Amino acid sequence: MNGATTPAAPERPLPVPTRESQPYWDGLREHKLVLQHCAACGKVRHYPRPVCPHCFSVETRWEEAPPAGKIHTWTVCHHPFNFFFKQQAPYIVALVDMDAGVRINAPLRGLAETDLRIGQRVRLQFEPVTEKITLPYFTAP
Amino acid sequence: MAHALRDRAAISGVGETAYTRGTDKSGLALQLEASLKAIDDAGLNPRDVDGIIPYFPGGGIAEDFIANLGLPDLKLSLFVPMGGATCVAALQSAAMAIASGVCNHVLISVGRTGYSGARVSTRLQQFPQFALAAEFEAPIGLFAPAQLYAQGARRHMALYGTTTRHFAEVAVVTRRHAIMNGNVVMNKPLTVEEHQASRMIADPFRLFDCSLESDGGAAVIVSAAERARSLRKPLVTLMGVAEGHPESPASIAQRPDLLEFGLAKAAPRAYAMAGVGPEDMDLAEIYDCFTFTVINQLELLGFCKKGEGGPFVMNGRIELGGELPINTHGGLLSQGHVVGLNHIVELTRQLRREAGKAQVRNAELGLVTGYGDMGDGSVAILRRAA
Repeated sequence: MNGATTPAAPERPLPVPTRESQPYWDGLREHKLVLQHCAACGKVRHYPRPVCPHCFSVETRWEEAPPAGKIHTWTVCHHPFNFFFKQQAPYIVALVDMDAGVRINAPLRGLAETDLRIGQRVRLQFEPVTEKITLPYFTAP
Repeated sequence: MAHALRDRAAISGVGETAYTRGTDKSGLALQLEASLKAIDDAGLNPRDVDGIIPYFPGGGIAEDFIANLGLPDLKLSLFVPMGGATCVAALQSAAMAIASGVCNHVLISVGRTGYSGARVSTRLQQFPQFALAAEFEAPIGLFAPAQLYAQGARRHMALYGTTTRHFAEVAVVTRRHAIMNGNVVMNKPLTVEEHQASRMIADPFRLFDCSLESDGGAAVIVSAAERARSLRKPLVTLMGVAEGHPESPASIAQRPDLLEFGLAKAAPRAYAMAGVGPEDMDLAEIYDCFTFTVINQLELLGFCKKGEGGPFVMNGRIELGGELPINTHGGLLSQGHVVGLNHIVELTRQLRREAGKAQVRNAELGLVTGYGDMGDGSVAILRRAA
């Protein structure tokens, strides 16, 4: 899971996709940002859920969205709260207003904390962590 | 027309265990100990309790209370699943049960071994409301409220110029109040410099911006106001109360405005019910899971405008003797973490004039908030009856 050279490494917390969210995780695995849209009124929504809160339609479609956006805010995690992330601390997690109109929370790599500002453009990247799961992270565009 | 619940219910009894770091007792034992104290404080017999709203998950459930307190005819057993907003929201549920005639005396209680038992990042996994966070936020490194709320604090700083010096003021004043109380975990003075030098947890939150992991229990009894008048202690009635649920309730990340949560909806309703406003308050007990959370809530409660919460807390305003003393018991930051039930206990004692060294002179009217579960909010306005 975390490479053969570190067999004793603590287990990484992984998502357990649901019937609602599976297409999102499938998209990430193919290195695409795929988002849930209402098939009736067309509005995008995240995180995935069964009913459109705008028009109450239960019909959905999944569309690829541009993997880019602007920083809404961020935090720098120093205390890990989890054994796996202890090896990574301190790490930046940025909350990003994606161009598609939803937010994505993901680690931000390759940028210094002191250089961050709200509104800064970043790009979504894809990190395969298991056969089934790929997690998102951000970098400079 | 007066609201149907206004002044119908009263806080007739309050109780707390010692707040500690380390205990041999279970959460249930602490919860029952505090419950017996609250029942005794009201001058009631445990068998008078006919409704219970225990904090959940964690601690006892109806079966435990019936078995331990010998309750002969429990008529209502409720959970209010709102995290840190639970206890104050439970006052609304209790008042509804009393005003409708279902119950006479409702027990709200918490018992927690937050220090000697499971810690916060483990406890949260028990909440169904955290399923989304577990799927989308834990895998990318966000586990604890400190991390999830830090992003909002960072944005507030960027938008409004709020600083960690403002955060420090909340921590330092709260500590001074705690030392006056005595039954607290943190009983040594804290300076601004010590706050600013404390280790970073989740930027911008340092150690002393975060509430305590502690062991302890607290309980209150809610009774019909006309019954409470003849009980042991001065009458403190529930003048206004409301709960509020934010947009995107299970994920802060998707909320349109990270700094607007359930309290923004609850506060106007509670003021309207009570027929009073923020300017009428003699003191406020504000749910202080983090220093910044206090600043944010003071804005949503209308004590100051949005973005002005930082400067508002400065220059002695929130200290005893100031314009709006807050968290006169030491709060979750310095007294102990019993999910804010200690805030209700303290406000009741203040209005009874039982608050000892931390007594706010001539306290007649105050409010108490709950905040939690990613942004649920609750607020109650209590008054000392004439």
